[in-house]
Amino acid sequence: MKVLMLGWEYPPHISGGLGTACEGLSRALSRQGVNIDFVVPHLFGGEDAPHMRLMDPSKVSGRVEAPMHKSVSEVWVEGQNPLLGDEPGAVSARAALLAEMGISVPGKPGEQGAAGVKDPNINVIKIPSFLSPYLNAASFKRKRRGLFGKGGLGLEDEAFLLQLETLDEILPPAIRSLLPESVSAGGGAEHYAGDLFQEVGRFAARALGLIKNRDYDVIHAHDWMTFPAAVALKALTGLPLVLHVHSLEYDRCGGNGNWQIEQIEKAGLDAADQVIAVSYYTRSLIHQRHGVPLGKIGVVHNGVYAREMVSRYRQEQAWPSKIVLFLGRVTFQKGPDYFVEAAARVIPHVPDVLFVMAGSGDMLPRMVERVNELGISNNFLFTGFLKGQEVEKMFSMADLYVMPSVSEPFGISALEAISFQSPVIISRQSGVSEVLSHALKVNFWDVDQLANLIVSVLKYPELGQDISLMAGEEVRRLRWDASAVKTVELYNQTLARISG
Amino acid sequence: MPSVCFYFQVHQPFRLKHYPFFNIRYDHSYFDQEKNGGILRKVAKKCYLPTNQTMLRLIDRYQGRFRISYSITGVAIEQMQEYCPEAFESFRELAKTGCVEFLGETYYHSLAGVYDEAEFQLQVKKHADLMEHCFGQRPTVFRNTELIYDDRIGEMVAKMGYKAMIAEGADDILGWRSPNFVYSSTNPAMRLLLKNYRLSDDIAFRFSNQGWQEFPLTAPKFANWVHKISGNGEVLNLFMDYETFGEHQWESTGIFEFLDHLPGEIFKHPDWDFLTPSQVVERYNPAATINFGRTVSWADIDRDLTAWQGNQMQKSALKNAFDLGHEVRSRNNPTALDLWRRLLTSDHFYYMCTKWMADGDVHAYFSPYNSPYEAFINYMNVLTDFRQSVLNLKPSKEARA
Repeated sequence: MKVLMLGWEYPPHISGGLGTACEGLSRALSRQGVNIDFVVPHLFGGEDAPHMRLMDPSKVSGRVEAPMHKSVSEVWVEGQNPLLGDEPGAVSARAALLAEMGISVPGKPGEQGAAGVKDPNINVIKIPSFLSPYLNAASFKRKRRGLFGKGGLGLEDEAFLLQLETLDEILPPAIRSLLPESVSAGGGAEHYAGDLFQEVGRFAARALGLIKNRDYDVIHAHDWMTFPAAVALKALTGLPLVLHVHSLEYDRCGGNGNWQIEQIEKAGLDAADQVIAVSYYTRSLIHQRHGVPLGKIGVVHNGVYAREMVSRYRQEQAWPSKIVLFLGRVTFQKGPDYFVEAAARVIPHVPDVLFVMAGSGDMLPRMVERVNELGISNNFLFTGFLKGQEVEKMFSMADLYVMPSVSEPFGISALEAISFQSPVIISRQSGVSEVLSHALKVNFWDVDQLANLIVSVLKYPELGQDISLMAGEEVRRLRWDASAVKTVELYNQTLARISG
Repeated sequence: MPSVCFYFQVHQPFRLKHYPFFNIRYDHSYFDQEKNGGILRKVAKKCYLPTNQTMLRLIDRYQGRFRISYSITGVAIEQMQEYCPEAFESFRELAKTGCVEFLGETYYHSLAGVYDEAEFQLQVKKHADLMEHCFGQRPTVFRNTELIYDDRIGEMVAKMGYKAMIAEGADDILGWRSPNFVYSSTNPAMRLLLKNYRLSDDIAFRFSNQGWQEFPLTAPKFANWVHKISGNGEVLNLFMDYETFGEHQWESTGIFEFLDHLPGEIFKHPDWDFLTPSQVVERYNPAATINFGRTVSWADIDRDLTAWQGNQMQKSALKNAFDLGHEVRSRNNPTALDLWRRLLTSDHFYYMCTKWMADGDVHAYFSPYNSPYEAFINYMNVLTDFRQSVLNLKPSKEARA
């Protein structure tokens, strides 16, 4: 089984749970013998993905930085990208791609490393000499400023534009309208920044250029940002399309979602041969919001990696108070306001508790204000956005993790908290509550019950002990391998349905 | 002449209402009247009333040769009297036939036998008084909560004058021996009747299981299995929850027809009859002395105490509850004493069991809570209020802010 997988981010450079989920699933799929080419818009270096081929189409299709002090025919490409480095298959794929575009590649693959690899984290690609006329410093700059935007644009994009004309008629309007404009406009390359739609379109265009001549069985794409690329690829290749929904626009924004994103979601889901939802909760939401028949939506719950239990920082520090933690984006979807209201009910009964809200988001200012209004700021702390080790440290200090999400497709952070031996309270409106029995569960709007549960965990220490003990065992059983088995099953069903 | 000995357990706990932490100090009513009344009336309608009717009919039909025994907890009797007096009356009808024996147990279906001997004796006496008052007979055979038994408990009950106890015929205790004989406990005055769990569970658990190879179970088939014991045993002890009839096995499964036909099928073999537990120990001599080196119950496949004291929450809740015993008994406050004792009912601790939660098993079926954790929280909140508000004790260490 050979799968072309399209993602939007990959650890360690992630902004949410999507990258983590993609890593977990792809690793487990490769253990199931699935061969994966994983395409993301940008690689930043430091990605660790020995189990598959990780590709950055912006690097392949011409987004090359040309340091001015180098000769124009020798360009540095940052990133630990096996595709571009000494991995022979990748080089030949690129060569084949260029060859098919009628471009001869001078030299043999073995000679491509002639410039010498000076740093293992930096792959050097010798740009074929025919590109030189386009890539002298002056014209490179002109291109960046002008026609094609700052990312630059190589031949592949032009080839893509040709291909796109043939696709034009079969693509759904929501996706068709997205593609060409964004390619020519060329947005900024910032993650979740700039004009996201341009970036999505550009990604689609580049992915199209990238995958030619490779014999995949299935295209598998994660969340709406990759749907245009995935749908266009399906139109181009006729391959079965599996779309994986980790969250919907509705989950992120409630009823006030961006209409264009919802249109892209719907167009993608309609074009898909199989949809995968991360929970039954999300499955029914996809059905309700986009009218996708339930029969077309399979459920594959996320897994979790057994991690080494991190020694608890609080024990070293002898932290004086109990910590109740909210960690996540401070947005409507995550229910931070319910956390604050519950805190106000708990604090009078447990004077030495500290409520911590870790994360940032559009509701943060309102939350700060509300904490002041309630007069609980002595027991309430805002950390702002945490990343990497800070997150781990925060989890390990927590005596209780609370996830009061209004709408949560899965909620992998609850599993992370458990792996740090913290008991968790999760909302019933979360996908993770489908797979986790050893947790306290509450309807997100039931602030009184949430406060009752919080105060009970703080007052009765046996409760937290038993929950984290049992949940730890339960989470160890929630392996990505099971998710991968289910995914492969859905691949096979899809293939059988299409060929049958 | 071998005998079938039927014993049925009748119990309903006083379930707690939803009692959040913030009610402590303000709210001293702990029980969910509506839920308890609703459940009792439902179970009476589906099980107690129709099954009692069937039993009365059978006793009548076989003119005294069909005999059965019950143990009915004090808290179940109280709830019947309050919510469905008809059900209580129909048990009194059964008592009047002379073919029904009522066994002794703790009034509150508590674990006092394990944790508090003084309290155990008081609850057992209270129950015996109730049986005498309601049914005109003082129990001589004892059934401990959930068939919890070990040599120490046997000794304790023997000292209180009971002549026999019933217990689980656990494999590891019996070894090569058969449950189909009367045994002597380590106290020579105390006889033991051991449950034949295979044949009991064929009725109680497997009767309507369509995946079972013996499905459907008919009265002739079951009687045939019973008759095969002839020559290898003297008494077949069929012990089960009374709710087996009509509640666990619904009427539509044919359980009442099965029950109606079973005695007739058993009687087809002229050697067999029905006896109550005290008649069994009068007729049959003990085959041997049997030791219960570990504490055995009839719960789960473990047949031990882990369903009530398997995790930290249960241990803590049990300790906190039983620790109040001396204090609450010394107060001469019958209302407080009764309140506390209702909190000792084993069901409260059973709801906190986490061991098989992922399988969605019988614990979840019987529990009024969403999870064992909520069961613990609710219980501890109530107990904390009882301690602080009813007994006016200082907050315990755990509950102190």
